[in-house]
Amino acid sequence: MSDAANRTEPARLSRHLAALGFVLPALLIYGLFVLYPLLTSLWGSLFEWRGLRQLDFSGFDNYLRLFTFPNSEKLFGALWHNVAWFFGIMLFQNGFGLILAYLLFWSRKGASFFQSVFFFPAVLSPVIVGALWRLLLAPNGVVEWMLNGLGLHEGRLTVLGDSGWALWVLIAIDAWNWMGLPVLIFTAGLRQISYEVFEAAKLDGAGSTRMLTTVALPLLVPSISSVTTLSFINTFNQFDIVYVMQGVQGNPNFSTDTLVTYFYRLAFGAEGAVGITDIGLALALGTMLFLLLSVGTLLLLRAFDRATVQP
Amino acid sequence: MTPAGFLSRLPRWLVLLGWTVVVLLPLYALVVSCFKTTQQIYADPLGLPQNLSFDNFINAWQRADLGRNLINSLIVTGGAVIVTIVVAAMAAYPLSRYGLKWGVWMLALFLAGIMLPIRLASVELFTLMRDLELLDSHLGLISVYVAIRIPFAIFIFANFMRVLPRELEEAARLDGAGELRILFSIILPVVAPAVSIVAIFTTIAVWNDFFFPLIFIFDNNLKTVPLAITGFVGQFRTDWGMVFASLGISLAPVLAMYLLLARQIREGAAASGAVK
Repeated sequence: MSDAANRTEPARLSRHLAALGFVLPALLIYGLFVLYPLLTSLWGSLFEWRGLRQLDFSGFDNYLRLFTFPNSEKLFGALWHNVAWFFGIMLFQNGFGLILAYLLFWSRKGASFFQSVFFFPAVLSPVIVGALWRLLLAPNGVVEWMLNGLGLHEGRLTVLGDSGWALWVLIAIDAWNWMGLPVLIFTAGLRQISYEVFEAAKLDGAGSTRMLTTVALPLLVPSISSVTTLSFINTFNQFDIVYVMQGVQGNPNFSTDTLVTYFYRLAFGAEGAVGITDIGLALALGTMLFLLLSVGTLLLLRAFDRATVQP
Repeated sequence: MTPAGFLSRLPRWLVLLGWTVVVLLPLYALVVSCFKTTQQIYADPLGLPQNLSFDNFINAWQRADLGRNLINSLIVTGGAVIVTIVVAAMAAYPLSRYGLKWGVWMLALFLAGIMLPIRLASVELFTLMRDLELLDSHLGLISVYVAIRIPFAIFIFANFMRVLPRELEEAARLDGAGELRILFSIILPVVAPAVSIVAIFTTIAVWNDFFFPLIFIFDNNLKTVPLAITGFVGQFRTDWGMVFASLGISLAPVLAMYLLLARQIREGAAASGAVK
């Protein structure tokens, strides 16, 4: 800040005080309800717990328990489901979303209509989305009726009760829910690319598929970066759709269990037959997830930052 | 358009229309099912209803006490949106315009919150709310939502305020206007688009959330719509007509808002991506 600018501001100390006064309400609320619980959660993972009471310091005991059978089985099961979810979303939602955005980019007419339709499910509560699809996919539901009518399937449709299928059905529903977001981000990104770049490629004889891979993709790195990072954060926080459609146990037989549903059961008492809480284990799991999310996000952003082409 | 031109565009339109059908068909099924009995849904899930019967809506409304839940959602969402806008605008103003050294760090501290997975702190948050006697109260929910939405709101406000010309507040200062008045009667009206982005996306996030009501609200009279719907769907899982109607009722306000604000929502989502 230059001196000239400073002179026209209110006097120095009172300016600091005024600024502090303005920031204080937000800082208090944010500090009390976000930063404080987050920090005490990380710290608390190093203690022994009984119910909601924090007992003695226990070092990394909770972490050791988390990585020992039978907890480790749940942990790695849920972790694998989250990883599968992320790659499923990258492929079905963001890959297909890129294709939709590219098609919209070339059809000037109606683009905003399609964008609005595609984005609509994203403003719905996951509760509505989950409940709606649970009814549609139930035995006797619309999907069964249509598949039987088309001759693609016979008899009762039970995909949500099938441990081989349920996870992939949930991933598809999540993609249905959020497809509009990559479409919007990618069309916005495509529109920032100068039209002449495409014209030049066209003159060189590139077809629209080759233009997508050789011209658009390298220039879309910032958009790909934000879409990937958002998907990473959202999939590893996945809870709502699983809870509404498959219950907090991630039925059937934990085949749709995610890290956050596992965390919820440990923290609020729905784990095991008796449903008691295990706060120490929950906080250790929460801390691991916190580290995974922060390190993962930073690595993703850095990798994409390096790959960004300066036009 | 020449026949050849039409043919070359055909695949493009088929893909776009195909996904449009995939998006709209489930929503269409939802709407027509609201007017049918469960037997009629089984027999003909996609046909138009034979008569416009509002029985399902009336049943759902009465049994689920949806009126009460809608009012609760309105109170919580309205409160959270207003407080978020006021405190975030107040914080963003000096942080983006006073050019203070510590302002940069403070801004970074707030912006880090955009990525923090706050759900993982819900155990300690629960203990905190219990000690503050904020469990089972709308005020408690509002406080948590404001805290969670502050980072995104400050991010948006700071970005819009940073680029305003300095003369804007200097003239007012010479006239002796206080900083609060400068912020609320001069700066905020100029950044009205930022206010609407923050208002829209805070509304969507808070209105739809069900995680925090799930862990903080136990009294049926205080439940918000998503939480009430979750319980209702489980309880009446066999009465499909009524369950569809309850979904229809909770979807209606969101649809109305979307029809009015689709353009702002699209632009905001494309620019920020921070809807959840």
